[in-house]
Order: sequence, then structure tokens, then C-alpha cells
Amino acid sequence: MNKESNNVLVVGAGISGIASALELANSGINVYLLEKEAVIGGHSASFCCKATDVCSQCSACVVPDKIKETVSHPQIRLLTNSTIRRLSGELGNFRVTITQKLQYIDQERCIACGLCTEVCPTDPKAIHPSFAEATPFSYVLDEELCLRFKGEKCDLCRKGCPTKAIKFKGESKEQELSVGALIVATGFDVFDARKKGSLGYGRYPNVLTGLDLEQIFTREGCLKLPASGVEPRNIAFIQCVGSRDEDHDYCSHVCCKYAMKLSGLIKYHNPDARVTIFYIDLQTAGKGFAQFYEEYKENIRFVRGVPVEILQTASGELEVRFEDISQGKVCRDTFELVVLSVGISPSKESWDLARTLGINLSDNGFFAERDSMNTNETNIDGIFIAGTCQGPKDIPDSIAHGIAAASKARQVLTESASQRQGNQGRH
Amino acid sequence: MNNCIVAFCCEHSAYPAADLAGKLKLHYPENLRIIRVPCAGRVDLIHILKAFEKGAAAVMVMGCEGGACHHMTGNTRTKERVKYCNLLLREIEADGRLVAMFNLSPNAPHKFVGAVNEITKRIKESGR
Amino acid sequence: METKIGVFICNCSGTLNNIDFDAVVKKVVELPGVTSIKFISPLCLEEGKKKMLSCIREENIEKVVVAACSPEFKEHVFREVLENAGLNGHLFSMANIKEQCSWVHEGDVTGKVVELIKMAVSRTRLLQPVKMNNFSVNREVLVVGGGFEAINAALQLSRAGLRTTLLEREAVLGTGTTELENLCGFDINAMVMEVKGDENIEILAPAEVIETSGKIGDFNVRIRKGGEEISRKYGALVIATGYQTKLALESKLKSDVNIVSQEKLCHMLEDPELRIRPRTIGFMLDFADENSRLPTLATLNNALAAKRKWGSEVYVFCKNVKVDSERIERLYQEARDCGVMFLKSDVSPKVAAENGKIKIEAKDIFLGEDINLTCDVLVAEECLLPAEETEALSSILNIRRDSRGFYQDENVHLYPVASEKKGIFFIGGCRGNLDLSRVLTDVSSVVVSIYKLLSSGNILAEVERVKVDPQKCVACLTCIRICPHNAIQLVRVDGGKEVAEICDLACEACGICAAMCPAKAITFQGYRDEEILAQVETIGES
Repeated sequence: MNKESNNVLVVGAGISGIASALELANSGINVYLLEKEAVIGGHSASFCCKATDVCSQCSACVVPDKIKETVSHPQIRLLTNSTIRRLSGELGNFRVTITQKLQYIDQERCIACGLCTEVCPTDPKAIHPSFAEATPFSYVLDEELCLRFKGEKCDLCRKGCPTKAIKFKGESKEQELSVGALIVATGFDVFDARKKGSLGYGRYPNVLTGLDLEQIFTREGCLKLPASGVEPRNIAFIQCVGSRDEDHDYCSHVCCKYAMKLSGLIKYHNPDARVTIFYIDLQTAGKGFAQFYEEYKENIRFVRGVPVEILQTASGELEVRFEDISQGKVCRDTFELVVLSVGISPSKESWDLARTLGINLSDNGFFAERDSMNTNETNIDGIFIAGTCQGPKDIPDSIAHGIAAASKARQVLTESASQRQGNQGRH
Repeated sequence: MNNCIVAFCCEHSAYPAADLAGKLKLHYPENLRIIRVPCAGRVDLIHILKAFEKGAAAVMVMGCEGGACHHMTGNTRTKERVKYCNLLLREIEADGRLVAMFNLSPNAPHKFVGAVNEITKRIKESGR
Repeated sequence: METKIGVFICNCSGTLNNIDFDAVVKKVVELPGVTSIKFISPLCLEEGKKKMLSCIREENIEKVVVAACSPEFKEHVFREVLENAGLNGHLFSMANIKEQCSWVHEGDVTGKVVELIKMAVSRTRLLQPVKMNNFSVNREVLVVGGGFEAINAALQLSRAGLRTTLLEREAVLGTGTTELENLCGFDINAMVMEVKGDENIEILAPAEVIETSGKIGDFNVRIRKGGEEISRKYGALVIATGYQTKLALESKLKSDVNIVSQEKLCHMLEDPELRIRPRTIGFMLDFADENSRLPTLATLNNALAAKRKWGSEVYVFCKNVKVDSERIERLYQEARDCGVMFLKSDVSPKVAAENGKIKIEAKDIFLGEDINLTCDVLVAEECLLPAEETEALSSILNIRRDSRGFYQDENVHLYPVASEKKGIFFIGGCRGNLDLSRVLTDVSSVVVSIYKLLSSGNILAEVERVKVDPQKCVACLTCIRICPHNAIQLVRVDGGKEVAEICDLACEACGICAAMCPAKAITFQGYRDEEILAQVETIGES
């Protein structure tokens, strides 16, 4: 077997891409792990732990572990800030051209010492750590804030960098890789709640999305309103924002779980808080979840039906108008914080990537599987899909799907190699 | 031991959480000494008692969240051991609350700092 | 003679400016065992590593302490340097003077840094090398179960070049597949034929596991087949015993009314000789069991089929429709478009028999009205339960089950297919309620998980990192009982004494046994009592 046909390119270093890469690397296959951002882990790395006195099975703690293993694995080569430009060839012999954005900060050399941030004259700083949980933990340069990109000749950070990791000149790099198979694991975009204008996201400061809430918990360790810093006592969750509607004929799988787990966390931090969840159907199935629901049922108010309008009152509270089905009339209730449980949407880049790779998209915008029983395979032999780029999944399902893609990729590589050997034998 | 706090930190949870607290530049008292262990379950009574013998103000054992231990039962077994240690301290008329088990996940730096602050509060309350 | 310890200090390019490194060096120099101190910054980049390597070589350093950032992401970097220098990677400690010292405290922390380095040095003095070894493993796999997932797994494992035994309780394969699952075009009979024709797969049916022992790479399994008992060896075990269903029914209902299961309804739908087509059909869903993914799928499929084939009026009484699986939302829409009525309520409807028909009293939340309906056929709600043998087999295997009795402990680190015991895996319905695409994902996952363990015939592992001293062991069985990974077993040593022995392949180095052993017979290299206590004793010395 020639060496290159035994390499696999994993596109996207979210949790399913990482799971694929680790599984392949542990089976003795060399992996290129491509990531468009500077850091790996994707969405899953920004989720908060939702444990109360016991683990609530959100799987957020699995992610740092896997990231650590990935970074230190000798058979995984990380290619951050990179995207696919071109693809040619076929199973066992793909040639992929990838572009690596000009990196102002060389990740291999950046030791995250923070000297550059100290000397940066702008406010807010143009050069800063990407975020605390970020891996690799390195700094990023914000072109919009940096004085150099406004025509000035500031050179402070470059001069101050002790490892000479910063450079301003250069071009984006292109390189060609030879791989036997590809696994596409480009993940999802969170549904843009601004599209549901009547819910007021983006207009009212105290209407947040589930992801915002996760990030508040990660950053602050407890729930505080971003505008005022006070701890809200009356919170509503609205389910199915961007799932199960005219434009999205699928359930996002994760929102009921995270809404209930976050509610549990809020009640744990502040037992006096009132939490209401507006829902269509509660998705409480799944290993280790039904029993949590029994607990939540006691403390959380569940209201069937999804509100269509939120208004901000003069005092800054949020008035939610919803149909009380049991009474058959429109009711109003006010809350200090409304959380929109936004769903999983196909990634914006998937259309471009589908064209570059030649793989099909399904009609709801996710990558199309070959058939309903081969959810890892695409219309092209040797290109596999893993994780939420194929359809909504939670973290355990994404990991499982990633491992399954690795399994398929390994199998076709071995088989195509032995086939080729057979052919050579005959010649 | 100049009133140090000794923290036995599981390398899967509390230790990375402490690192994250550092990256976020959170602050906690300087008298904290972290000892890295492969699992909270490795921490034995003798380790805790030796720390007190040497003059530690308090001992913390920090492991994964209940039900999410990498080694299934490590955190629960140590919790029992810590409880027993509580009793022992009380028997010699010391404040039993000065040894405590904390559960947290690797991405919970605030919980880590909260735990250190909590134990610091207990030390002050016990008058040491 | 004391071993030579080299201390390498890195100030992260001068950013740890609340440390007086000259003072640190002065103090560290005095520590016993320390023969050289090098101040290299930044240590983790290529040039730093090169300097470190040449320093270890030139000064014949035998053990290393690195005082720098956290070991979390840099331990492997420095361990590699040690190994390049020909040292054992375990003869090494790190003092975390960045994330856990300089960055979290304001003001001068020189004293704490000295102490952290002292702690690391005192530990390092006691460290002993740990060797690696290749352990040979058996490449055969046992798959327990004869349903869809078991057959599929056996076929894929065989394709991956691993000899597989399929062990089924029933005499025929493929019967375990219940009608709750729509197999979407999979022909189970063809798969059974393929298994039978595969020379890499051996079928034992009807047969059952009566005893297992051993560990990954070397499981001994006693099997009862027919009247005789046979003994086999396997490298890994896959449990795929599926689930069973139970009708959630009030027992007082008369048996002459048409209350049926999903499976029975399927048979009725396929029966060409069925004379009377039911005009009204009711389904019950999601009242008795929250875990109703599969029953929802079956209900939607069967409701649609009844509507299309018989033109019946179909009512589905439910609490919630569980749509969090592939394509179910679409199926749900399709059913509604075809005229299947979904009546949602939080309380279970009342069901009574009346003149050979079934009377249902329900409340619909959306209509806000009471509904009285008479059905010809009622499809009862089905609850998913662990398969019958689950309890027995789990105690044979000595593995934990979840709170509902299914296989696999509810621990996020085990998902998707692992058990707490290396080499034993669970797939499909036996570990919880999974729809078909999740089952197939499980099958693929288990194949690669086993492939990476067994395919080469060897596993590289640490030798005797955790070890029982046979002189001290009193065979009290504590460690055997508490080891979460079942890595310890009793063996007879020379002289006939029985002692505990830790299997290097199965051990995951948690140290729980070392803490629990009442005779202190277990040592865990790197975390021995001496090494931990050395750190504890150093604290506050200065």
C-alpha cells in the first residue's frame, strides 16, 4: 500500500471530526485534521457543564478530554485556519488543495504569554486570546481593530513578541495533500433567531438564545443578565425556535435537553427562580434523560404551545403573549429573561463545500447521506460525512457518528488497498 | 505548614478546571497547593491526615461530577473516605468541615474558585 | 548514589513577571538530588527542546523536573524530549508555575514557585521507570445476540478480518427483530444467509454464556450448547441482545376485545385473508413510558399503513410525539396530512370494553374538549424493557447496568459503545432505546473500536505500573471487588498462596485499588504513597 493512500483528511475539528480523527489515528492511520477557525473543538467546546449535585449527562466535559488527546496525538496533523480549495481524484487517491489563511500569529510559536495584548494601543485590544477554553491556546489578531489595517504603522506587538510569532506580511498558503479518503464534519450553524423578528432577539437585551446562556454560564459561572448584571428570578424558555416550523421540517434533537438541563442548573443556583418552558412536544427520550425529566417536572412550569410575540415593557421586563390552550384564550405573562431554544441549522458554508467536493445536499440543507441506512456515506465513494453536518445530533450522537464514519473510512481504505495490490499482482 | 490548603485534584476534572481558572485570570488565595492525582479515588486517608499533621489548614479532594467519574466509582469512594475523615477530625475536636470533597467538571473554573473560596471561608470561621 | 535530577525552568518569555527567578534558582540549587538547573525560555518551542535535550545528554541527567506551564497540554512535549534522550518518560514531573501560580495570584509569588518546584523534586526523587511491552491478544470476537444488530456486527467484523462467533439463545437467527423497528429495506433473511455462508463466522445457536473470566485480548467464555458445555477464548465481547417490549394495559380489560400490539397490527395489515377491516383504530403512545422513540416510529408507520390500506379512521392518543430521530418529523407531518388525528393530553385516557368494541374517554388539550370514541381496534402502548437475560448476563460479565436495567452505566465517558471493562462492548437496543440509524452507527463504532484493539494481534501497554506485592497481599479480595474496570483477578503463586494480580492490559491506572488495599500491597508507580506523601510533606517547609 503506498503511504498516501493510507491518509485521511477530516474536514472540521468539531467534536465529531475529533472523534473521527482520534479513532482513525488510533487504528494506525495518519490524519490531517482541517479546521477553518484558529481553534479546535467547534461549538461543543463552548458549552458549559450543566451538573447540579449530579452529572446531568450533557457531555460537555467529554470535549476537553478529546481535544487534549487530539492535540497530543502523534498521528494527527492539525491544519487550522484552513479551508478546502479543490478536490480531484478518487477513492484511495484524492488530491486536495487546501488554503491556509495568512496567519498573523504563528500558532506553533505563540506561547500565549500575553505581552502583545499588553502593548496593543487600541481599545478594545486588537490582539487577544481567542477564548479561555481555546485549544490550541493562542492569540488572534482582529483586522477590524488593528491600526495597521487602518493605514498606520503600528509595530508594537510584533516588536514585543518574545518568540517572533507575529508577522504582518505574507500571503495565504496553498498546499496539496494526497489522501485516501475524506471525512466531512463541518458541523452546524445555530439558527439565527433574528429571523423570527417578533421574538425580539437582537432588539431586546434580555432575549437571549440557548447558546448565549451557555456562554454566560461558561464565562461567569452563574446566570447574570448581560445588560444589568443582576440575577434573573423569572425566566422563560421558548422551544422549537428554528426547528419544526414551515422552513425546518426536522426536530433539532438537542433543544429540549439543553433547555431542561439549563433550567435545572438555574434552579440549582437559585432555588427561588421561576422557570417556564413553552413547548410543542417534549423530547425526553434518550439514555439517562427520562429520569431527569421526572425531577424537572416538579420544579419547572411546562406550558404547551409556543409564543409568537414578545414585547418589552417600559420597565424593561418582557411580556410574552401565548395561547393558553387549557383556557382557549391569549394570555400574557412577564419575564425578566426569555431564552430562545434555537435549533441546529445547516452550516452556511456547506453549499460551497458541497460544490467543491461534488457531494449532494439534502433538501433541508444538510449533506445528503447515500441512503437512509448509510448515514455516513455520500454519493461519492471515499467521502464520508459525520456529525451535525448530516443532521441534528447531540454530543454523544455526534461522537458516535464520527466514530462510525472513521470505521467506514478505514474499511474502504483497507479494501481499496488490497484490491489495488490484487491488480498489481495480476499485471 | 503555614496554614496551607492542600487540594488533591483529579487530572480529568479539577486539575484542568484550575488551569482554566488561570487562563481566565481568576484569583484565589495563594496558600492553595495543588497535588495532581489520576483520579480522586487514589486519595487515601493517610494522605489527608498527613497534610493535617504537617499543619495544613484544610484539605480539599476534588474529583469529577457525581455520575461522570472517568473511573466510574472513584469519586464516590473517596467521598466516603472524606466523610470518615470528617468524623475523625471531630473526634479530636477539630472542625470536621475543614476536609471536604468537591465535584466539578473540567470546564468549570468558576466552580473551582468557588470551592477554594468556600474552604477559605470555613477556615476563617473555625478561627485558624 | 543519589540520581541526578535536572530542573528546567521556563518563564514563558519573561511574562511571568511576578516571580524572582534568580531567587528561585538560588533556593532550588540547594535541594537534594538536583544537579543542574537550566533556565531556558521558551522551553516548549523547538529551540528550547533542543537545548533541553543536549543538556540532559551532556550533564547525564537521569530524572527531570520542568517548572513551566500546565502539564495538561505540554506533558507529552517534554516527555518526548526525555524519551529522545533515552530516559524513561515516567522519570519526570512538572511544576505548574504559570496557570496555577503566576496567573492566579497578584503580587510576588516567588515563595510559592520555590515550593511547587520543591514538591515536584521531592516526588521525582522517588519515581521509578515504567516499561512498555507488546501484549499479544486473541483476534477472535464473540457477538452475543442473534438480532439485526448482532448479525450486522458479525458481518462487518468478519469483513474487517476478525474471526467472529455469533451466539444466539434461540435456535434460529433473526427472530429477535421486533416489529417496532421498520427495517427500511434491510432483508434480515438475506443477512442470515450471508452469515451462514461466511467462513469467518461461526454460529452457536441455541446457546448461552454461562461463565466468563479473563480480560481484554484473552477472555475465557464457557458456553452451554445443546446439552454440553464448551470453553472458548476471545479477544473481545460484543453484547447485542436487544430489548423486549411489554404492553401497558389495564389487566381488567376483557380478552375478547381487539386490543393488540404493534406487531399484531403489522400482521393484520399484511394478512391477505383478513375479512373485516377495522374502521376505527386507536393508538396509545407516550403515557406509560417516556422513552418512546421506537414506539413512536412504529405508531407513525402503522397508522399511515392502516390509513392507506384500509382507509380506517386513525386516532393517536399521546402526551408528546417523540420526533428526535432521523426523519420522524417528516413522517409525523405525512401522517397528519393523510388524516391521522393526534390527540394530545397529559393524562392517560380511560379505556373500557363495550359490546366487543373499545370505548376511549380522553381529553384533548388543543380542542379543550372531552372526547368519547369507540374503536374497533386499539393498539396498546408498548414499553421498552431490557431483554430477559440482561440481568443474568450482566452478573456473569460483572458489568453495571443503567437505572432502567439496560446495559451500560449512565456515564458520559462510556458513550457510545464502551463498557467500564475494556474489551466488552454494547450495541443497539440492549443499551437503551435506539432507532435504526443509531443502531447502525453503533455497529460501525464497535467494529472500529475492536479493530484498533485486536487487528495487529498486539497491544502496547505499560508493564506493572500498578502492581500487587504478593508478599503483602492477604487475598482479602477488596481490590477485586472495587476495581471499576475489573482488571484484577486472583491467581495462585508459587507455594500455593492465592494473591491478587493486576492485568496490565485491562488496568486504566486510576489507583482506586491502591487507596483501598488494607494491606497496602498495591503500588501505583508515579502515585505511590511515598510519592504523594513526599509532596504533602514538602508543603510549607520554607
